[in-house]
Amino acid sequence: MSVGIEHYVILSLALFCIGLFGVLTRRNALMFLMSVELMLNAANINLIAFAFYHGNLTGQVFALFTMALAAAEVAVGLGIILVLYRNFRDVDVTVPSAMRW
Amino acid sequence: MMIETLLAVTFAGALVTFLAPNRIAGKLAFAISLIPAGLSLWLFTAFDGSGNALLEGGELAWENQATWISLGAYDISWYVGLDGISLPLVVLTTILTTLAIVSSWTPIDMRESQFYGLVLFIEANLIGVFVALDFFMWFIFWEAVLIPMYLLIGVWGGPRRKYAAIKFFIYTNVASLLMFGAFMVLVFSLEVTSFALPEIAQAMVNGGPESFAGVAGSTIASLVFVAMFIGFAVKVPVVPFHTWLPDAHVEAPTPASVLLAGVLLKMGTYALLRFNFTMFPDQLEVYAIPIAAIAVISVIYGAMLALAQTDLKRIVAYSSVSSMGYVILGLIAFTHFGVGGATFQMVSHGLISGLMFMAVGVIYNATHTRMVTDMSGMADRMPIAVGILIAGAFGYMGLPLMSGFAAEYFIFFGAFGSDMLMYAPAFTALAMFGIVIVAGYLLFAMQRTLFGPYRLETDYEVGRAPLHDVAPMFVLLGLIIALGVAPELIFEMILDSVDPILDLGGDA
Amino acid sequence: METAFELAPAIVLLPLAAFVVALLVGEYMPKKGALAGIAATAGSLLLSLYVVAAVATGGEHQETYFTWAAGDAFSETGESAIEFTFGILLDPLSALMLVIVSLIAFLVHVFSLGYMNDEGETGLRRYYAELGLFTFSMLAFVVADNLLMAFMFFELVGLCSYLLIGFWFRTESAPSAAKKAFLVTRFGDYFFLLGVVAIGATFGTLAFQGDNSFVAAASDAIEGGEPLFGFEPRTWVTITGLLVLGGVIGKSAQFPLHTWLPDAMEGPTTVSALIHAATMVAAGVYLVARMFGYYALSPTALAIIALVGGFTALFAATMGVVKDDIKQVLAYSTISQYGYMMLGLGVGGYVAGVFHLMNHAFFKALLFLGAGAVIVLMHHEQNMWKMGGLKDKAPVTYYTFLAGALALAGIVPFSGFWSKDEILFDAILVGLNEPIFLVAYAMGLLAVFFTGFYTFRMVFLTFHGEPRSEAARDPHPVGWNIKFPLLTLGVLALVAGVANLAPVYKLTGLEITYLEFWLDGQYGGYADLTYTAYGDTVPFGTEYIAGSETITLLIAAGLGLGLAVAGAIFAMVLYNVPEPEPHTENLGSARTVLRSNYYQDEYQVWIAENLSLPLARTADRFDQSVIDGVVNGVSSVSLFGSSRMKRLQTGVVTNYAALMIVGFIALLLVLGVLGGWFV
Repeated sequence: MSVGIEHYVILSLALFCIGLFGVLTRRNALMFLMSVELMLNAANINLIAFAFYHGNLTGQVFALFTMALAAAEVAVGLGIILVLYRNFRDVDVTVPSAMRW
Repeated sequence: MMIETLLAVTFAGALVTFLAPNRIAGKLAFAISLIPAGLSLWLFTAFDGSGNALLEGGELAWENQATWISLGAYDISWYVGLDGISLPLVVLTTILTTLAIVSSWTPIDMRESQFYGLVLFIEANLIGVFVALDFFMWFIFWEAVLIPMYLLIGVWGGPRRKYAAIKFFIYTNVASLLMFGAFMVLVFSLEVTSFALPEIAQAMVNGGPESFAGVAGSTIASLVFVAMFIGFAVKVPVVPFHTWLPDAHVEAPTPASVLLAGVLLKMGTYALLRFNFTMFPDQLEVYAIPIAAIAVISVIYGAMLALAQTDLKRIVAYSSVSSMGYVILGLIAFTHFGVGGATFQMVSHGLISGLMFMAVGVIYNATHTRMVTDMSGMADRMPIAVGILIAGAFGYMGLPLMSGFAAEYFIFFGAFGSDMLMYAPAFTALAMFGIVIVAGYLLFAMQRTLFGPYRLETDYEVGRAPLHDVAPMFVLLGLIIALGVAPELIFEMILDSVDPILDLGGDA
Repeated sequence: METAFELAPAIVLLPLAAFVVALLVGEYMPKKGALAGIAATAGSLLLSLYVVAAVATGGEHQETYFTWAAGDAFSETGESAIEFTFGILLDPLSALMLVIVSLIAFLVHVFSLGYMNDEGETGLRRYYAELGLFTFSMLAFVVADNLLMAFMFFELVGLCSYLLIGFWFRTESAPSAAKKAFLVTRFGDYFFLLGVVAIGATFGTLAFQGDNSFVAAASDAIEGGEPLFGFEPRTWVTITGLLVLGGVIGKSAQFPLHTWLPDAMEGPTTVSALIHAATMVAAGVYLVARMFGYYALSPTALAIIALVGGFTALFAATMGVVKDDIKQVLAYSTISQYGYMMLGLGVGGYVAGVFHLMNHAFFKALLFLGAGAVIVLMHHEQNMWKMGGLKDKAPVTYYTFLAGALALAGIVPFSGFWSKDEILFDAILVGLNEPIFLVAYAMGLLAVFFTGFYTFRMVFLTFHGEPRSEAARDPHPVGWNIKFPLLTLGVLALVAGVANLAPVYKLTGLEITYLEFWLDGQYGGYADLTYTAYGDTVPFGTEYIAGSETITLLIAAGLGLGLAVAGAIFAMVLYNVPEPEPHTENLGSARTVLRSNYYQDEYQVWIAENLSLPLARTADRFDQSVIDGVVNGVSSVSLFGSSRMKRLQTGVVTNYAALMIVGFIALLLVLGVLGGWFV
């Protein structure tokens, strides 16, 4: 059985849903960040799979972009989490809500 | 390039004043403001334009057009020029600003450099509004006027300054939004390639809008007309969109009131004349009676409100509503004297209301109260300032040989014989009754505050006003009398620019 | 002759120069600007006399000096442009009025030296400046060659009147009276301005004289018969004429806009003499005379003028009977006398009206200046019950005042008799033909009795009997500057009637009706502005009693003179005693009504204070609550809405993520349903 495009899509969908589930249910900021990473990588899988499928490199290039973006995001995100911890002695994302209005 | 120089000098002056130390800011701003004033007077003497800026056959003075941005199918350009309607208003702006600066020397005692910088910034933008002939450029200046005025009221104003400033800003800004949206719809439904107002006016003359987004052209024209009328009506302001005005005036410092009543309100009527009354002759005919009714209601209702006030500034503020009603009446009459008189009234009311606000300001500087009930017999202590106030009040009442009479007479005469407006004589007669009410409230207020035995409820020693407080009022009074004795000084120029508009309307 | 006309603008401009001089340097001048005023008015007087001489030798002059404004305007009668100009029109009428105004202005300036300077008033610079401005405006009004210019200066004299009534602004009453005077006349001027606008818009011209005058245009329009503004031309002429008449009624203090004049006596007496008796109040009547050709086209308008005049004459005379203040009596007599002039003009008696205008200017200025002298004598006391016995102590004042009183009462041979008699004679002639005018005549005739009574009540109370106060026993002396104007005017009050001895002419055939010849343009003048031209237009026929002019004349003159003498004798019986009693108290409730001026002031004050003001306050409340309420309501609703909407922002990032996903899915579903993916 060869691995078809639909397998990749299903894998990516599963990965995305796991990430989404994490974002919606976790309160720990670190878990949050990891879930976001999962979703980004789900998108990456899609990009690469379709690039392969179409025989076109554009998708792969975009995947590289996404990785760079994810790295930057993690850097900023971890920074925010550190500050969060310093201020609240906790990394629970529901605690800091002063910015709402 | 004269207009560009004028604008550049004023903007640069604003910047320089902003950076100057507070100590010298007032004098510096005065010195700087003399440059645009002198320049605009020179423009006035060297004016060589003819016809209307927007219509065929108009020869603009100092016209300059350069493409600025190409926005797809539409060009936005830097397009300036002067005709007989805008030039008097530019001169009014520059002169009134200079005088307003001098009149602020006494009352303004904090953040002077910022204050005078903002005043000059308003001046620059006002000039921009009157010289711009491209819609985008015009709109930028139009909106930019609001910001410094908002700050002037909000920072240097009276006790309820924040309320007044925010009300002023939001009210007029929402109106601008309505007008802007309507105008965009109009532009997109016309076959034009730029936002240049003459091109748009020409397209309106050549058949008006085509159907757009499934709506018939004539419907679009009507909707746009109404939306733009409301948008400008807030600025004028006419009843029932007038309530921001008294609040803004009462809270604003004297010089801001002078500019607000003197020039800012004229932006509304100027825009009405440039847009609604130049581009939509067919719609005018349809809406003539409602507009005339609004004008009459503004005149009478505004005057009645003024009668009920006990705050001198509120009295003058409401009487502005009344006076601007005359402008609308003159415009909708759509005769040479009606529209010409309306334009004349813009200038005349700018001078007279400026004078009145200055005079009330001088009394306030001395007494620290503006309430009619708090004082009497001021003529005893400040004879010169009170003398000028009386002269200004009679100017407001339309005393002959002062500019107010000329303006009102032109408007009444033009309105009475209007072909476009049904029942024109009846509307004229109703609106004219305003001249009785205006005499009533001004005379009552004068009798209570200026005459009778001297009495003052506040603890201030009242003496004669300093020379720099009364000097600007003398200048204004001189101009008012000059225009009253010889209205032809500007009326000829105004009529020359007004005539092409009326020729479009099929005014025989 | 041409020189006179070329110099004519100087007549107007000299007082303007005096105004400027007094305003700028009056403080530093001896007599505080009075000398500038005297010089200017004397110059105006001389030049006016020069102009009269020029007109008398067959001249007339009309010249436009200055275009005030011009532009396209389409009138009902087909003109396509209009020019508003300043120009002068010198004809017999305006030349005569120029002399009257400049003469009285000159005399009042001289009198002011005694009344104001010598009495140590402050603010004299302002006083003389305002007098100069007034004289300028009044003279400009007189020479105006078009209706708009006339209106402008008509308003300006109103301003000067306001300023001068309020001269003593530190009191409570003077500013109030000034305000009332301006406001009431403004109400009349509203109609006047509307009339000016209407006439301009109808005929495309406002000129008084010539083929392109509005009078000629109106006459053509009536012949043509094309409707004007949807009315019959004659009806429209009547309407516009009556609108202009509104200004006349306001300025000449005719019923119902007469209420301001008695209050205007708060001003200095000199001002009352100049403005509120002889000149400004005459402006209204003068205007009717100036555009008499227009009114002559409309019988309805003329009838209304006559009725208003006749009624005012009687109405004001009755009020004069019960006043105690000498100036109040004179004020009501002024109203009454202007009523006579209106009556005269209303019945087509152009010459009679103008004749009375002239005589009244002299004798009423005399009476007011006499009253001013009395006030000086009495140390500023105006109540006649505190006077008495001044006859022997101030003979010049007494005899000149008496001359004025005899003229006012209309007793032969003083000037007032001749003109009043002529008015009543003209009225009865028309009245016999058109009964409506008989009503006006009857009122005018009845007023003669009251005039005789109140005039001599005033004379006897003031000058006869025993002194009734310390001041009256020891009067303050008056100087030459008071006596000179009194004597001049006293002589004029006696002899001015010679100008037009119409009854003598009719009885003897001696051609001595000089004023009639003068106003008929027989010496010089425009053909369309003559008595004959007006007479041809006036639509009224006349009739004589028993078909005889002589009998009618004798009956009319006899009735008038008899009633006047009867009134005077009645007053003499009651008041020419050492200790007069206040007999008018016997009138009971009628006296209350009269002293309350028929409650005319009450209702006008009620309109101003109990109607307009509450209405204004209601409007203000409406404005604050409803209109501004809507504006503030919009902001409250937005604030409330946003305070609810903002709860969506929980600040919890998980919720945002959930909302985003729900929104995304909802969007997908909507697009899907609309795109038909699920079919």
